[in-house]
Formats: sequence, structure tokens, C-alpha cells
Amino acid sequence: MIKSKTDKFRLSGLLALLLFLIAVPMLSSSFLITMMIRYMYYGLLTISFAFLASQLGLFSLMVPVSLTICGYIIGLGVLRWNMSIWLAILLGILGSQLFAALCGVMVNKSKGISFLMLTLVISQLVWALSLQWTTVTNGTTGLLDIRFPEYINIFSAQPNVNQYYWTFIVFVLCVALVFLLTRSSYGLRLRGVRDSESRMMALGYHTSTLKWTAFMIANLISAIAGVLYVYNNGMITPDVMTLSSTNKSLISSILGGAGTPLLGSMIGTVIYRTFDVMLSGLTRRYLTLVGLLFLTVVMILPDGITSVAKRFRRGKRHE
Amino acid sequence: MYLMVILNGLTMAGYLFIMAIGLNLSFGLMRICNMNHGTFYLLGGFIGWSVVKATGNWWLGLVVVAAAVGLIAFLEEFLLLRRARGKTTVETLITLSLSIIGTDLIIAIWTGKTRQIDIPDFAKGIYRVGNYFFPKFNVLIILFAVAIGFIFWLIYQKTKIGMILRAGVDNFEIVATCGINIKRLFTAVFTVSGALAGIAGVFGGTYQMLVSGQDGTVMIYTLLVVIIGGIGSFGGAIVGSIVIGLIYTVGTMLAPQFSYFFLFAPVALVLAFRPQGLFGKVGRIDD
Repeated sequence: MIKSKTDKFRLSGLLALLLFLIAVPMLSSSFLITMMIRYMYYGLLTISFAFLASQLGLFSLMVPVSLTICGYIIGLGVLRWNMSIWLAILLGILGSQLFAALCGVMVNKSKGISFLMLTLVISQLVWALSLQWTTVTNGTTGLLDIRFPEYINIFSAQPNVNQYYWTFIVFVLCVALVFLLTRSSYGLRLRGVRDSESRMMALGYHTSTLKWTAFMIANLISAIAGVLYVYNNGMITPDVMTLSSTNKSLISSILGGAGTPLLGSMIGTVIYRTFDVMLSGLTRRYLTLVGLLFLTVVMILPDGITSVAKRFRRGKRHE
Repeated sequence: MYLMVILNGLTMAGYLFIMAIGLNLSFGLMRICNMNHGTFYLLGGFIGWSVVKATGNWWLGLVVVAAAVGLIAFLEEFLLLRRARGKTTVETLITLSLSIIGTDLIIAIWTGKTRQIDIPDFAKGIYRVGNYFFPKFNVLIILFAVAIGFIFWLIYQKTKIGMILRAGVDNFEIVATCGINIKRLFTAVFTVSGALAGIAGVFGGTYQMLVSGQDGTVMIYTLLVVIIGGIGSFGGAIVGSIVIGLIYTVGTMLAPQFSYFFLFAPVALVLAFRPQGLFGKVGRIDD
């Protein structure tokens, strides 16, 4: 498998990163742990966006839809229907996938800006439902106090350390899944559709099936982020579904570089969420700063921050 | 009762239509999904509120808003969008970032309080027809929307500029090869579309409250109008805005919990059976 020096270098870098992430709770700053947990579930949301953006060239503005639906079904299952949490999670993921399947059929025919526009409409629909259907969703209050059973706390006596490790395990599994998918022939076929759908059709591929399954995978990742969100916050509110929350994952992805679904997404998420926390403490006009940052990146570095490193490396090679 | 609801629906259709013409033009011609079109609306509403409050002259407010928001749209196109021409996604992201900045700055300037522009004296009061009462201002909005629609129809169908626009919606590359300065045309279209959104904001802000955060909802309503009617279609904008306006008001009356939800039903139907919109042309939408 390991072919060259750079591959070895990358592998050791990855191992060091993994060790660091496992060791984070031992450094035991509870602020750091909370931030890391947030990076991870929001990172999954960004990955969900970047997966479609990088593999199919489709910019989806309905990233948090599956997160929201899954979160609400879990909340309703536990609080209203007295289910066990595991059954509720299963139902949540299935329910959000079912909705995604229907949406997938609808948005499948479009691409480019019309895809962006249709997904925006769907995301607003779900937001409206979560806000206005008060008898079920409790309106702006949302569903509070969704608890996970005590017996899953196997790592430590501290609740946030347990939360960290469970989130970490799920996160690593999702990242591995996306990594394998993008490296597989399936990922190659998706990129084929991105570059020229008509040629892929001519080669005999069912491009609409390919697009639909990719859409489902992206929504599955978002639904899993929803499980993690409910697990770590114990609640779900319409706030996760607002336009600005959609924008956040989009900005994170563009910041890091939408071309690289994993590295770019995570770098973008870490930068954006750190920025978010720091600036919102400093000034009330932090959204303006976020907007300006976004505008600058879009104008100057449309391929994101990771493209700088790439450009630098390429420049060196030419020397 | 029902007549009143229908009148309210048509009033909403009136300012949605003014919004939709602008969005339709920039969308159909320039292939940009202008995400800050709603911000133009809210900005227009608040500038109008300030001007009307300072001078008491409603028409002056309308003129100032058209000029100010038009200027902002012009600067946006000239300084930013022009540099990303051809890359539709980048252009859309630029408008998205501007909508974030704009929404926040509107709160910074106008403190985020709910405002409503005073109804001008000539439009106060009601018309009485038999046993029915119609507020004058609602009728004014509808008449104004019809007038703007008629003017645009004349320009669009009967003049040379309209001919260029129609050709541009179909294929602007070919239009450019015919020796038309497409850059200047794009700038002009975007400026006019911004000015119209500002004007719609003054109407909407006199008819209803101006609430910060409303830019998103108005944006979505306008998008729904454009999706139902078909991108770049003039007749579609009329039908779409009437459909959305009526569904919204009737839905609010029947089931307030789902008023927003109801709006999406016709959109889902249109998408399922006629993805290009009621009056859209096949193939246009996917460019």
C-alpha cells in the first residue's frame, strides 16, 4: 500500500493526529473538549455538504435537513412515544433517509444553481414545519431534555469525556466511510458525472441512480451528525435549521476548500467555529465580519485555504 | 370575508410580483440566483421608513429608495459580480455573503426594531362597494403592480431593448456575438432589478411590518414565485405571484400553523409534473 515517501509522511501524520485526538480528554480542559465535540458534529455536517460539492459538483443548501428530521424523530420517540433511545435513533435515521429519498427524486433532475435553489426551498420547508407545527415540535422552544442511558458511560466518570469518545468513534467511522467512498470506483464514477454527465450516460451508467445514491449518502452523514447533536446537547430546536445555520456549513466548506471533502471540510470547520466563538464574544457585528471573510475567500481563493498549500507545493516542484 | 382575504392575497401578490420581475430578470439573463434580493427588499423598506419619517413625503421615499438600492445593486454588479462572470456558483456565493453582511448591517443601522412606514394621506381610508370595504392602500399596491407589469410588458415585447433581453434569456452568448454590449446590459438589468426590489420593500413595509430577518422569508416567497412560474418567464411571474399570495393568505386564515407549509404544496406539484415551471421553456433551467 505505502508507495512513496509522501505516503509514509501522510500516514505518520494521520497516526499522530489520531493519537492527539484520543489524548485530548487527558489534557482535560473542559472548554477544549466541548469545542472538539462541536468541531466533530459540525464537521460531519460540512463533510455532508462537501461530499456532494466535491464529488458531484452540486451545492446543497439542505445540509441540516436530515440532522433536523433525525433529531426531532429521536426527541419525539423518547419524549412522546416512550421508546428506547436506540429504537428512536434507528427510526430517526430511517425517517430522515425516507425524506431524503423523496427529495432526491425531486432535485435529481436539476444541477447548478437550480439545484441550489430547490434545496434551499426544501430546507426552508423543514424549517417552517419545525417552527410552526407547534403541537408536535414545541415551536421555538424545541424538544428539550432528551437523555441517553447511563450505561453507555464506559470511558470515564466525567460525562463530557464519555461524550467526547462516543462522538469521536462515530466521527472516525463516518470519515473512514467517506474516505473509502471517494477512493473507490464509485467515487470515480461520481466525479465522472460531475465532469460530464452526458458522456457517463453514453458509457452506459445510470447517472440518475448514481446522483441519487450520493444524495442519500450525504443525507445519511447529516442524519448521523443529528444523532451526535442530540446526544451532546440533549435537545433539538428549529435553530439548527435556519438559513444562517445552513450558511455556516457552506462557509466552512468553502473556507477549507470544497474540492477536498475531508481535509478541507475539517480545516474550514475548525477555523470557522473558532472564529464564530471568538468573534461573537468580541463584537455584536460578528456576522458582518463573517460575511466579509466569506466574501474575501470567495473572491480571492475560490478553492479555499487548502488550495494555498497545493499551489505552494506545485510551485516548488516547478523550480 | 372571503373577498377581503382575496384582496389581501392580491396585495401580497402585488409586491411579490415586483420582486419577482427583478429576480426573474437577473436569474433568466445572468444565471445568478441572487440570494440578496430579499436584503434589497428589507433595505428598501427601512430606507423608505427613514425618508418618510424625516420628510413625511411617501413618494419621495419611493424615489430615494429606488435610487439608493439601485446604486447599491449597481456597485455590487460592477465591483464584485463582474469579476466572477461565467462562474455561476461563485457569483451566487458572492450574493450569499452580501446577504449575510446586509442583514447584519440593517440590524446595526435600524436597531432591529419592528417598523412600519406610515400610510400616505392620499391612500388612507377605505373604498366602499355595496357591503364590502376595501382599504385604499391595498388597491394602490395592486394598481401599481399592474402598472409596473404593463410597462415592463411594453418594454419587453415592443422595444428593441426588450428584444435584446428576450434573446439574452434564451442565449446570451449569441447575443454578445451580435455586437450587443452584454456587460453593460447585465449591469443595467441588475441595477433595475435591485431598484425594483427596493420599491417592493417600500410597498411591503407600508402594508405590513418590517421585521429584521424578513429578508429571508421574502426571498423564499419570491423564489417560489419564480419556480412556479418558470425562470425568465414574464407571464409565469404574474401567475406565480398570484398563486403564492392567495395560498399564503388563505392558508393563514384556515390553518395558521401550516401557513408557510402550504406554500410549498404547489411548488412540489409543479416540480413533480413540470420541472421547468408553468411557463418555463424546457432546457433553460439546467444551464
